Amino acid sequence: MEWIEIFDISLFRSLLRSTAPIAIVGMAAAICSAAGVLNIGLEGKMLNAAFAGVAASYYTESVWAGLAAGLLAGLLTAVLFGLLSFTLGADEVLAGLAINIFSLAGTTYLMRTIWGQAGFFSDPRIVGFEPIHFTFLEGTFLEPFLSDFTYSVYLMFFIAIALHIVYYRTRLGTAIRATGENPEAAEDAGINTVRVKWLVTVFSGVLAGISGLFLSLENLTMFTEGMSAGKGYIGLVASSFGNNTPLGTFGASAFFGLGDAIGIRLQGVYELDSRLILMIPYALTVVVLILIGIRQRLKVRPVPISES
Amino acid sequence: MDKFSFKDVLVTVAGLFITTIIAWVLITATGNNPSEVAKYLYEGGFKGTRNIANSLYQATPLILTATATLISFRVGMFNIGINGSMYVGALYAGWAGYRFTNLGHYSHVTLCILIGMTVGALWMLLPALLRVYAGVSEIISTIILNFVAVLFVSYMANGPFRADPIAPATARILETAELKQIFPNSQFNTGFFIAVFVAILAHFILNKTTFGYELRSGGDGLVGIYPSRFSSYLGIPSNRSAITGMLISGAIGGLAGAIEVLGAVRYFFQELEFNQGFDGILIGILGKLEPIGAIIASLFYGAVKNGGFFVDYKTDVAREIIIVLISILIFFVSAQKIVKGLEKYPIVKKMDSFFSRKKM
Repeated sequence: MEWIEIFDISLFRSLLRSTAPIAIVGMAAAICSAAGVLNIGLEGKMLNAAFAGVAASYYTESVWAGLAAGLLAGLLTAVLFGLLSFTLGADEVLAGLAINIFSLAGTTYLMRTIWGQAGFFSDPRIVGFEPIHFTFLEGTFLEPFLSDFTYSVYLMFFIAIALHIVYYRTRLGTAIRATGENPEAAEDAGINTVRVKWLVTVFSGVLAGISGLFLSLENLTMFTEGMSAGKGYIGLVASSFGNNTPLGTFGASAFFGLGDAIGIRLQGVYELDSRLILMIPYALTVVVLILIGIRQRLKVRPVPISES
Repeated sequence: MDKFSFKDVLVTVAGLFITTIIAWVLITATGNNPSEVAKYLYEGGFKGTRNIANSLYQATPLILTATATLISFRVGMFNIGINGSMYVGALYAGWAGYRFTNLGHYSHVTLCILIGMTVGALWMLLPALLRVYAGVSEIISTIILNFVAVLFVSYMANGPFRADPIAPATARILETAELKQIFPNSQFNTGFFIAVFVAILAHFILNKTTFGYELRSGGDGLVGIYPSRFSSYLGIPSNRSAITGMLISGAIGGLAGAIEVLGAVRYFFQELEFNQGFDGILIGILGKLEPIGAIIASLFYGAVKNGGFFVDYKTDVAREIIIVLISILIFFVSAQKIVKGLEKYPIVKKMDSFFSRKKM
């Protein structure tokens, strides 16, 4: 098989599936960064949501209970982040890091202590999301491109467009961008910047929750230790590469998704070491960071450490 | 900069108290007996020579990773990638441990350690350069490099460095490269003394020398004691000190990995798992970003961690509970407004000025 042959319809589908979790959490990162909140804690929010989703689905055997629990977990983790950073004056980076370490250890602790499982937890009682089949697309050329994906892929498009409208067409969007770009001026213009920061933090918790939830309740219905595997951080890089805009973040995430999809396919063709395949998203992230660096060098004088 | 003021100690102790209550509730809620857990935690941490030796062994890499953390934080760089440095340092120190033959004990150990430190430092070069010359957040780049490091060392132990046909592992290090284990049935080794020495050295360099002052000019102009990029009063750090700080931090991370391989495990294998780089961040903060504080906090954490293993072994409570509780403690300690809020109470103020006068 020639390498060029991997560019087919199944690569496209694999690309969308890989893009979805990164794009959704990436947009959470984008709204936070746009409002000047450095939200390292997204990783922890994803993980808590993934865990809560599996736990609720396991006990109730209902995917909707899983959805509710996952969103709530993401939201509560976001509230914890907000309390620490905005109310109690903790450094945002430290609060985010502590939340990530707390979430990784906490979910592992609960999984091992309650279910006595190390590594991963899987059970037939865990109900996951099924792919959506559009009957009206049957037989058309669009069917292989658009039909039979799970919810996260469709949600990803919806969230990107909705956020784009909020960003550029509403007062809220203006308030968010003003808070990030010039907080003093925003305050002078009558914007309550703390309230804006709280708002984006809570909303980012919901988005990270969605992203984490679909990790554990789609395709494979199971919870794995540390299953977010850095996607929260990759989302931050994607949002930075996309200039913290919804559509830019979406594009950058698709780049990561493409790398992921190509890696999976190449493994089948060349029998590469699985560790090298697993490394692709992270190696790509490093490449993107370097590209961001080059772009910043070309655009502006580098910001001194004390001012950024 | 006020370090170890009375109110900080008060918050830490109060945080410990509240954390204990949370632990009690959490353990009961997950169907276990808290007093039994407490008993095993104490026994595993402190009872008998072997457990004490093991607690000190657990503290060894933590002292180093915490020191590495605090050095980078105090030069104004958030290095979260110490775990990555630790992995690559461990891999290459182990490689040097079997690759170089015909060396004396001291020269071989020194060579292995230097190689581990160099590789650990080089691992931090890219994030440091990206930060200083292109304004790319070192937080994200170092975190991502942690993931790369895990997969890289696992690949190396499986591929190029693999010696064992059955298990994915490197060859065992030669006897000349071993750090001696002192107590029977314990992995406690002479690396502990290296770790303490490095932390004390860091204390003197950071706090008593011009070089140290230059290094921290970036990080110490802070709100409270934590590096805040948003308010640096003491001026802009030179790019050189930021890069130097990151490299030193990476080198100490590499040293932590080297000591684990030379002193405890003696070879590198694929499943070898390090978390001490992340624990070091928590400990560095608990120790108020001071090396002496890091030593104290590491000894505490090492004992609790070893106790946690015993709890895990004896009961159904998973050892991760220790990290859960420590991170909750960090929530309290890092909440600056709680610390600041205490100042309005006259008794706290009086105690604060009493202690600071005594210090002078």
